[in-house]
Amino acid sequence: MLRFEKRENVSTKLKMFIPLLSIMIGLLIGAIAILFAKINPLMAYKAILVGAFGSKYTFTETLVFATPLILISVGLILVFKMNFWNIGAYGQYILGAILSSYFALFLPTNIPKLLLLTIMTLAGLLGGALWALIPAVLKAYWDVNEVISTLLLNYVALYILQYFMYGPWRDPRSHGFPLSKMFADNAQLPKIIANSRVHLGLIFGIVAAFIVWFLIKKTKLGYETRIIGGSKEAAHYAGINVPKDIIIAMMISGALAGLAGMAQISGVIHLLQIQINPDYGYTAIIAAWLSYLEPFTAIIVSILLGALAAGGYQIQITMQVPFGIISVIESVILFTLIGSEILLRYTIHLEKRRKT
Amino acid sequence: MENIVLEARNITKYFPGILANDHINFDLYSKEVHTLLGENGAGKTTLVNIFDGLYYPNEGEVYVNGKIANINSPLDAMKFGIGMIHQHFMLVDTLTVVENVVLGFQKQGFRLDNNSIVKKIQEISEQYNLKVNPYAKIWQLSVGEQQRVEIIKMLYRGANILILDEPTAVLTPQEIDSLFLIINKIKSDGKSVIFISHKLEEVLKVSDRITVLKKGKVVGTVNKEHATEKELALMMVGREVLFRFDRKPTADGKDILKIENLEGYNDRGVKRLKGVNLTVKSGEIFGIAGVAGNGQEELAESITGLRKSSKGKIFIGSCESTNLLPSRILKKGVNYIPADRIRTGLIPNLSSVDNAILRCYMRKPISNTFTVNFTKAKDYANKIITEFNIMVPRLDAPVKLLSGGNMQKLLLAREILEEPILLIAVHPTRGLDIGATELVRKKLIEARDKGAAVLLISEDLDEIIMLSDRIGVIYDGKIVGLVDSKNAQINNIGLMMGGSKNLNVQKG
Ligand SMILES: Nc1ncnc2c1ncn2[C@@H]1O[C@H](COP(=O)(O)OP(=O)(O)O)[C@@H](O)[C@H]1O
Ligand SMILES: [Mg+2]
Repeated sequence: MLRFEKRENVSTKLKMFIPLLSIMIGLLIGAIAILFAKINPLMAYKAILVGAFGSKYTFTETLVFATPLILISVGLILVFKMNFWNIGAYGQYILGAILSSYFALFLPTNIPKLLLLTIMTLAGLLGGALWALIPAVLKAYWDVNEVISTLLLNYVALYILQYFMYGPWRDPRSHGFPLSKMFADNAQLPKIIANSRVHLGLIFGIVAAFIVWFLIKKTKLGYETRIIGGSKEAAHYAGINVPKDIIIAMMISGALAGLAGMAQISGVIHLLQIQINPDYGYTAIIAAWLSYLEPFTAIIVSILLGALAAGGYQIQITMQVPFGIISVIESVILFTLIGSEILLRYTIHLEKRRKT
Repeated sequence: MENIVLEARNITKYFPGILANDHINFDLYSKEVHTLLGENGAGKTTLVNIFDGLYYPNEGEVYVNGKIANINSPLDAMKFGIGMIHQHFMLVDTLTVVENVVLGFQKQGFRLDNNSIVKKIQEISEQYNLKVNPYAKIWQLSVGEQQRVEIIKMLYRGANILILDEPTAVLTPQEIDSLFLIINKIKSDGKSVIFISHKLEEVLKVSDRITVLKKGKVVGTVNKEHATEKELALMMVGREVLFRFDRKPTADGKDILKIENLEGYNDRGVKRLKGVNLTVKSGEIFGIAGVAGNGQEELAESITGLRKSSKGKIFIGSCESTNLLPSRILKKGVNYIPADRIRTGLIPNLSSVDNAILRCYMRKPISNTFTVNFTKAKDYANKIITEFNIMVPRLDAPVKLLSGGNMQKLLLAREILEEPILLIAVHPTRGLDIGATELVRKKLIEARDKGAAVLLISEDLDEIIMLSDRIGVIYDGKIVGLVDSKNAQINNIGLMMGGSKNLNVQKG
């Protein structure tokens, strides 16, 4: 017999337990899906672990996958704190990639590397920020639901990317594939670990986490975001300029997603194409939630989710497990996480019925 | 002669660090209104939540009709004929009355047999005088009407024992009177009612028996016939309570707030202020008496900049402040205790520190250009908490864990310690227990004595008369009468609160 009791206080232990539980359930359901592919799930999971942490090289691959997740999730944390549900990191990521590619592709190739990378970094930040500005303004001044506007803008972003890739930016020597020409060396982010694909973007991510942590914990903007997230009425009463804060926070959030897009094409892919993994924009939502909106925890969670992705690619190659399984596991984690909110609000007792 | 329908024996309930119910014995007869009286945090809600199956006691048993009852959920409670109406209503705003009544209860099939349900609802409405339109959506109803829907819902489901947790806290005096009529109808129909309140006067009006709780324990149970307000207050608080306050003689201060022909609309676009004129001087409390919904809250919001006024002028000090931003008005030294404390005045999920600095975080010494100095913020919160004797579990605990009285003390402290030139207090003691009420009133008078202009808006006429130097009566968006509180007559003010038309009828 299950009994639900309302609770006010949530212990830290429980707060730790819930994400773990979500991950367990995610893996369990993933296992069932793997079974359908006629593969032993235990073997598959072992292969994922090995593929993610098995050697120095595989661990660096995990970090490569974690990099965009860190950048995007810490940005999302800032707006999620004010109850602004930015689902649009996907699109902001694409726009950051497109705008920075412009400079990589069309500036003279002989400009100094540092200058070009600085320009591209700024372009990535700006591309994401401007794309995020649209839903922010719509929300701030016309109260347009941000979930819908950011989601729809993701499609628009994808179509813009497709336009450039099938149109003006396609490399004439690509045999019709939607690819730009390869970036010159001075448009490529430097590696930070030898013999790996880990690039400067990881440092960007860690710095971004620190900045967001500082914004949230120490600044007026961070305090105001907490108030806005806690109660719109109170924010108004306290004299907070809510539209301004929505716009600033959302531009920061979008800028970091845009930077993730820039870092991915400049640090990993080295050209612009249709497959630039904008899905990180969705996975980062899970990272932000799993970390309880704590920027430094988000780094760790991003590495774990990065491991899942890195290992997932491994088993796709070695065991023919479709990568879709990884998305199943990720979605179940998010689903369970949201469902287990009930554990935070109620205590559940399991007991026999007393005789009456 | 009467039989016991519900009995609690030795109920004990712990929450982390708190003994909310300490070996409580309680019984309820059929055809009885039995009141639980106690200050906020005494454990009243906890006890009735146990009856309703929301909480489960750590010790003790509940008996229904003489048999031990194992109540695990509100649905279980309903099987025992127990129906509870919570302090915060459990209705779905976007659904109709009918849909809410059957929600989660209707068993037969997928389709609702609307006609028979509506018929039954109408029968119940008529029988108990619970007037409400069954097809209205909940959000369209006033708080009083929503409460009636809750009562109908419980009666529809066959409740025999009705629990009302502080039902009057949200009602106007008129609505309270009609609620009491409903309660009496229910009683005379053979059902029983557990009524919860901490307002002595109304408790004496409606109860048959009264059980006083204090700090989780039963202080005693008395019959209404043998109870007096003074005695109950003593049982409840454990000491004598002030019903009167010392104050300096009225000073003749200069005009601080001046309002001329102010007009404005509410959120739904209905005109609520229709030409308000008034002046509040420094060193006086100006009380606004009136029945809820005559423009009081719109008036307070217009002065503080939270609502745009459509016509007329507001002056604070000697400068015009009509439709300025709230932050600008705050800067002029206007502080505000809003009626809606829990969402407007405080942020329930944030800590006492975050809440304490809500009105001063943008200034030195709490903050610099970009950053907030949380060490200073903590000191400031500590100062407030000690000065006003506010009970908090920890400084960083969310304020929703505080009792209602402590929340209001925190809000009041924050607003008063800013030393405003104008303090606007709306329903400052609504829902508070006697101890907290006394403190809030004392502090308002202190602010006045120190020279602040205080605009007090309250539905509690006794409070207005007790605290104010001058009283303005608001009716239908206008101040219809001005009274000096020294020669205020409750009857006269009451008549004006009903509108000048009534006065004319009286004269005629
Ligand atoms: N779910 C809960 N978790 C922890 N403490 C609680 C909970 N509910 C009530 N309390 C505490 O129990 C005490 C009694 O509260 P309550 O029954 O709500 O009092 P009342 O209704 O008389 O104002 C208070 O100190 C309150 O803070
Ligand atoms: Mg209560």
